[in-house]
Amino acid sequence: MLVVVVALVVALFLVAPILIVVPMSFSTAISFQFPPPGYWLGYYVRYFTGTEWLEPTLNSVVIALGATGLTMALVVPASFGYVRFRFRGKSFVNLLIMAPLVVPHVVSALAYYGFLARLRLNGTHLGVIVAHGVLAVPLAFLVITATLKGFDRNLERAAMSSGAGPLATFFHVTLPVLRPGMLVGALFAFLSSFNEAVVALFIAGRGAATLPKKMYESIRLESDPVIAVVSTLLVTTVAIGVLVSVLARGRESGAA
Amino acid sequence: MGAAYLKLTGLVKSYDGRTNAVDGIDLDVARGEFVTLLGPSGSGKTTTLMMIAGFEEPTRGSIELDGEDLGRRKPYERNIGVVFQSYALFPHMTVAKNVAFPLRMRRFPAARQASRVREILDLVELGSFADKYPRELSGGQQQRVALARGLVFNPDVLLLDEPLGALDKSLREQMQVELKRIHREVGVTMLYVTHDQTEAMTMSDRIAVFNGGALEQVAPPLEVYHRPRTRFVGEFIGDSNFFSGRRDGERPGLVLLDGIGAHRVARAAWDEIAGSTVDVLIRPERIQLAGEGDEARLPNRVSMKVGVIVNYGDSVLVIGETDGHPLRMRIAGAQPDAIREGATVTVGWGPADAHLIRRD
Repeated sequence: MLVVVVALVVALFLVAPILIVVPMSFSTAISFQFPPPGYWLGYYVRYFTGTEWLEPTLNSVVIALGATGLTMALVVPASFGYVRFRFRGKSFVNLLIMAPLVVPHVVSALAYYGFLARLRLNGTHLGVIVAHGVLAVPLAFLVITATLKGFDRNLERAAMSSGAGPLATFFHVTLPVLRPGMLVGALFAFLSSFNEAVVALFIAGRGAATLPKKMYESIRLESDPVIAVVSTLLVTTVAIGVLVSVLARGRESGAA
Repeated sequence: MGAAYLKLTGLVKSYDGRTNAVDGIDLDVARGEFVTLLGPSGSGKTTTLMMIAGFEEPTRGSIELDGEDLGRRKPYERNIGVVFQSYALFPHMTVAKNVAFPLRMRRFPAARQASRVREILDLVELGSFADKYPRELSGGQQQRVALARGLVFNPDVLLLDEPLGALDKSLREQMQVELKRIHREVGVTMLYVTHDQTEAMTMSDRIAVFNGGALEQVAPPLEVYHRPRTRFVGEFIGDSNFFSGRRDGERPGLVLLDGIGAHRVARAAWDEIAGSTVDVLIRPERIQLAGEGDEARLPNRVSMKVGVIVNYGDSVLVIGETDGHPLRMRIAGAQPDAIREGATVTVGWGPADAHLIRRD
């Protein structure tokens, strides 16, 4: 009983500051104020009717999709190689792949800033996609190698003895069985880019400003209550994403 | 034994170039035969199976099927079915789709696929499970699906790698009978890997006993049981009493057992063994309580000190010793009055009950 109470208090402590933005997004106050003096949908209208917020939203979506594509293109072959083959320097490779996870984002951001400046990619979508794609590599790698390690290779043998060549085996058996894990890996990559602020602040510039960057600038300059709207939408999106990933894993483990 | 259908010649597999996991296997299997590869884990039986399936490449030696060398053929170009211990059913396909998969890959016409799938599912008695997913089935049912998938395309050979290993005991016995029936009905050549001697005894036409990557003996189950070619085979299969001894060159038919003295064995067996040092195997069920007047029947006698008595209901296993040698005796039926813990009884066996193995 006590355990349940403590757990609820902790959960509340963790979640409440996030959920508080939900009522604030419907607030009539011209600045942040809690509790709200009244409720309306005015700030939602403002979010959805001007390019001021919609453009960074679109930028964020485009960049997150591009980064996810890049991450998966790097991670899927790397995971197969890493899990299925033995080679010299394997643990070093693992360390290298995990590096973006341990290097402070602000350090990465500075490095990308200098690097992308030489390629003239600062302030472009491509530049942010490259940076975000690399940052998401360790997350997707962790998920996908775990899925691959749990994969029974006898499935592939069974397919081959059934008369399926290497390609047919991959597309009929390996890929469908690994799909849920791959989707979770892709989702992590997408969210990691969609939520990323520090690197975006450094390199996105005007041209490729993402939602988190726009929010940061907005709160610094004007405390626009639309931020509460954006936050609410973000929290909802992420919650849906996590829910989808949990459901996908449930299906994968055969809970259905 | 008819002409060899599947022929393994000098088969060697080495993973590291120094030690051989499979160390020179020669084995001929007739068409339609059920051969069990039996041995402890790590004895090379599964590796041999994987080479026949094409999943592992032999380091040396050849595999021929119906006179044709399989060496150049990829697994998917061989017409060989495989059943795994882990079932290896495709989790994203229904039972029917799993079973149809080999037909799909071989581009059978759709109508032919459907009727063949129904036919084979009826054979394994899973006709009503066609639209279920593997995760909705029990272990035994999943293994039947795997069996159906391995058989559906009429393979030349069906390989089974410890297929009952993951099932509990009663289900395992049920599936043994089932497998035997399916083998009889389909008539496909089967190679069956197991470390369970009971499975090997009950199902096989012949047993190939593996030890350390090599074959110790290939023979029908009863011959392997009663006439093991090596001490390893005698100890691995069934319960056993082994004595070391020497053949008495002066007195034909007599063997001197270390610490127990001279014992009479069948003359033919005595003649057959050319060497002088021998291992003598006496199965526990061949040893009996000996009494007055049956010296002719049981000329070999020792006094046995009874240690532990294990009652199975239909038989009694008596574990004891004679002059420091461990001795096991199995008596059919109920426990006789004379057998009590700590008692000393006279037991004996006939000349034909001992099996001689030459020791080099």
